[in-house]
Amino acid sequence: MTTEMSPESEATQPPRHAGGSESPMFSSTASKVTSVLGWMSIVAIGALLTLGLLISPPEVSQGESVRLFYIHVPSAIVCLYIAFSITLVGSIIYLRNQSVFWDLVAGASAEVGVLFLAFTLATGMLWGKPTWGTYWTWDPRLTSTAVSFILYLGYLAVRRLDMDPVARSRRAAVLGIVSFANLIIIRFSVQWWRSLHQGATIDPRDTQLDDSMLASFFLGLVAMTLTFAWLVVHRFRVAWLEHQLEASQLETAIAERTAAAGPSTGLAPGGA
Amino acid sequence: MIGAVVLVLGFVLFQALTSARVFFRNVDEAVAERAELGDQTFRMQGVVVSEPAEDNRGAITFAIAFNDVEAEIVHVGEEPSDLFELGMPVVVEGHWQGDLFTSQQILVKHSESYVADNEERPGVGENGVDGEPASDPGVG
Repeated sequence: MTTEMSPESEATQPPRHAGGSESPMFSSTASKVTSVLGWMSIVAIGALLTLGLLISPPEVSQGESVRLFYIHVPSAIVCLYIAFSITLVGSIIYLRNQSVFWDLVAGASAEVGVLFLAFTLATGMLWGKPTWGTYWTWDPRLTSTAVSFILYLGYLAVRRLDMDPVARSRRAAVLGIVSFANLIIIRFSVQWWRSLHQGATIDPRDTQLDDSMLASFFLGLVAMTLTFAWLVVHRFRVAWLEHQLEASQLETAIAERTAAAGPSTGLAPGGA
Repeated sequence: MIGAVVLVLGFVLFQALTSARVFFRNVDEAVAERAELGDQTFRMQGVVVSEPAEDNRGAITFAIAFNDVEAEIVHVGEEPSDLFELGMPVVVEGHWQGDLFTSQQILVKHSESYVADNEERPGVGENGVDGEPASDPGVG
């Protein structure tokens, strides 16, 4: 997969790296896979709304606000464990073999991950007000999560820097790896430091949840994961199309320059 | 370069979180350090051990305890959340004023366990568990 989708040469190399017949050339970002994922996401979200809002009971002390649990925690799990892990893996592979495919996978996953992280922060704040009594406090978990949010926004900014694409991807990959370290801090923050944020509710051995609450939580996890996958596939395909467009523009620009100025002209990104 | 920046950021975060700047002190620690703390603002954690009462000036008075050490709190800030009641662990933010602790903010610590309310259907109106009407049933 890696080899067939990623060109051996980088975008700075004019030769037709994306021109192989096995390289997927999407005319749209939709496909059978995305429509199946999309419908599954919609069905799962519908089921989650029914189970989470109507069927599952309120909680003894929190009342109705416990329902935020079914979206807050799954969305945190999806961005922290799935999205940014994919970014980590993609970044490592990119640094090893300069695979454009994995660079774009890392970027797409981080982009959707940041969206889910923002959603996690927002639902957490909405939940914090009625339970703790405040939207925000500089508790270790909240602080470390806010730092991660900024780190991954920075990662996305680096991906958009106006510079040599190879150097930019390498820089982004390093940041994609280093930023992951902070996720470990988030994970253990409630154990390492005194914290207002509660610890884990879902413990494999001893879950402290009512059945329909537990079902709502897992349904939330399924719905969030499907939605994430759906968005990432689309986002990756857009990035792939963008990459191919840029590469072809670069080729044209170089060809024009070579024709106009002779062989002395060097590579000038942005010349298109 | 970026790696270095991130490492520094991580280091600062780690320092900020580990060094003396703990998110809260427990009641016993705060009482022991009363002299050093002076009128400095800090957070203190304990379990509410006396029924909160409102005095004639609108302040909420109650006591919290941790490790068998108790402190009297006079809360003059914003209303705490509906979860605030006898037996709940709370974090109060404020400062010592003599033997009393003047609090500007009460944060209620919620445990990680969730217990289903016994009613069949998400309650509109009374939820009757602790004899307190559900204040805002339409949140979800």
